[in-house]
Amino acid sequence: MLRFFIIAALLTFAAPVLAAEFSFDDAEIEKKIWHLGGYVEARPGLNLLDQDAAQTRLRYYGRHVDDNLPDFNGKLLLEGSLEKDWAKLFLQPSLDYTATRLNSYLRLTWYEAWVQAKPDDSFRFLLGKRSLRWGKGYAWNPVAFFDRPKNPDDPELSLEGYWLATADFIQSFDGPLKTLAVTPLLLPQDHDLNRDFGNGNQINWGGKLYFLLYDTDIDLIMMGRGSRNAGYGLDFSRNLTTNFELHGELAWLVNSSRPVVTSNGQPSLTRGDTISWLMGLRYLTEQDTTWIAEYYRNGNGYYSNEMDTYFQQVERAWATWQQNGNAAQLQRLGQAQSYGRTAAMRDYLYIRVSQKEPFDILYFTPALTTIANLQDASFSVTPELLYTGITNLELRLKGTAVLGAPRSEYGEKQNDARIELRVRYFF
Amino acid sequence: MRFIAFCLITLLSALPAFALDGQQLLKQIDRNLNPESYESYRKLINIEPDGTRKEFTLYTIKKGTDKVASLFLTPASDKGRSTLRLGDNLWLNIPNVGKPVRITSLQSVVGGVFNNADILQLDYDAEYRVEKVEDKGEDYLLHLKAKSKSVAYDRVRILADKARKLPSRIECLTEAGMLIKTLYFKDIKNFGGISRPATVETDSPLYKGYKSVMLYAKLKKRSFRDEVFTLNAMTSLDSLR
Repeated sequence: MLRFFIIAALLTFAAPVLAAEFSFDDAEIEKKIWHLGGYVEARPGLNLLDQDAAQTRLRYYGRHVDDNLPDFNGKLLLEGSLEKDWAKLFLQPSLDYTATRLNSYLRLTWYEAWVQAKPDDSFRFLLGKRSLRWGKGYAWNPVAFFDRPKNPDDPELSLEGYWLATADFIQSFDGPLKTLAVTPLLLPQDHDLNRDFGNGNQINWGGKLYFLLYDTDIDLIMMGRGSRNAGYGLDFSRNLTTNFELHGELAWLVNSSRPVVTSNGQPSLTRGDTISWLMGLRYLTEQDTTWIAEYYRNGNGYYSNEMDTYFQQVERAWATWQQNGNAAQLQRLGQAQSYGRTAAMRDYLYIRVSQKEPFDILYFTPALTTIANLQDASFSVTPELLYTGITNLELRLKGTAVLGAPRSEYGEKQNDARIELRVRYFF
Repeated sequence: MRFIAFCLITLLSALPAFALDGQQLLKQIDRNLNPESYESYRKLINIEPDGTRKEFTLYTIKKGTDKVASLFLTPASDKGRSTLRLGDNLWLNIPNVGKPVRITSLQSVVGGVFNNADILQLDYDAEYRVEKVEDKGEDYLLHLKAKSKSVAYDRVRILADKARKLPSRIECLTEAGMLIKTLYFKDIKNFGGISRPATVETDSPLYKGYKSVMLYAKLKKRSFRDEVFTLNAMTSLDSLR
């Protein structure tokens, strides 16, 4: 009898546990009209400075900076939305904190803030600040005329958008043309709105035509002449086999300008039509190794002799400052930011290889990335370890080393190397 | 003599009616599993050998034979991710990245034993032809062969209950017959007139000790316009809920 009661008691208490092993409550899938989420991130890093590099001298002349410069970066990215019937409001502010031994700052940026009306599955209209992310390239997007440039060292970061108005008209078909979508766009610019988009007070216009044709994504993109000169673009993406994808972009910028530092140290401007293009592939092996490779031709990039002239001028300006304390030329050269941007020159190769869960370590993905400047043979190498095994927590350890001869792009970068840990918690 | 010949001719012409149409049976199994056009909520649970679990909830819509889309609802790190399948084309949209990228059916956006083909499953009739059907007493055993190289599993064996025309077990194999994974269909539930397994467990000899479970909730028929299954609409899937 006692044995019977023990077994009955065990089953009574065990039953809810057994039933709860796999459960699915309605509360887990209930849709609310509002949502608030985002992530908080801590990203400490250590920079190993190249004291003799042009970028270091331009940035830190007059200040003592150690070879090792630690920094701390914090971020709170919020996403809030309110949705009722066919209307939606979306807000994405980002609060960023950066601190080094030299300075610190806190900055609030609205990445996105828009309202959308979607009265129909084939039509929607959006007004506000939005990051469009046009283009098919992974590291670069020459056809992304209405986006801020992304960082090829970290191409998946959220980007600040521009204030604009846009719409989507979508039509589906049977047959080889499966989808057609038209996306017109207006982007106003004045001294308050979209200030860094271009020059002058203008209503910029443009758009995109998308086809899914014979299982190929194709976009035709256009930017009308306004704050910037006109641009025309084409991109495509297609799977050649189930595990092999090919993509490309082509951008023609009409009469684009390029600020140049001449051999006598004076600024000048060159103008002309430029063609930029990109070809890339993505390949997944049977062992779950992903290869991404892209070649990028920056039609508006600097030639080798132009970069060499610039670095010579920095050396002369540095010598002058050391001699008599006159930093005027260093300051002028420091303002030529186009020389210090990523992909400042003309020919680049990007290769990234990542391995999903090697040695059966679940949720662990190591990767290795290299970006090579094919003109001056300088390059960066970035190994990376990513772990997402804890729900809503992402851990990434990343190091970057640059190699290049003097007066080469990567040879004159501020850092010889950098290592950082990123801890991101989603909520 | 004429009478015997007449009987023979009558019997021979009736034989095809008695033979089981495997492809028709497969279509019935597809319809019993899901309506042709529906929406559903699912929970995917990846269970590691040490018992650690990672859970994902998804909202899924399907139309016809070649259109499926899914939206991740939880956890927070994956919320807003969406996948779209249109025929042989598959894309993944990650909100931070902001644009859809092409993926393959053999990859897995959630990790674990389930892959994209299992999550964005089309009708078996759309992707496979029935090579033979075996009578196993209370069950049928269907042997399927992929119609094209783009299908995730080259061969599939479905053990289906004769009375309900619902699978109890599905084995996914390579062309050479090597077992990749097994899906177990359990817990028949009524979803507003649709009686189907609410639990799908899977394990794989390639992932010894690991198990993945898919739980269904709120499965119901619903019509959708084709335009919902496009790249431009991937970021607005939540508005359909």
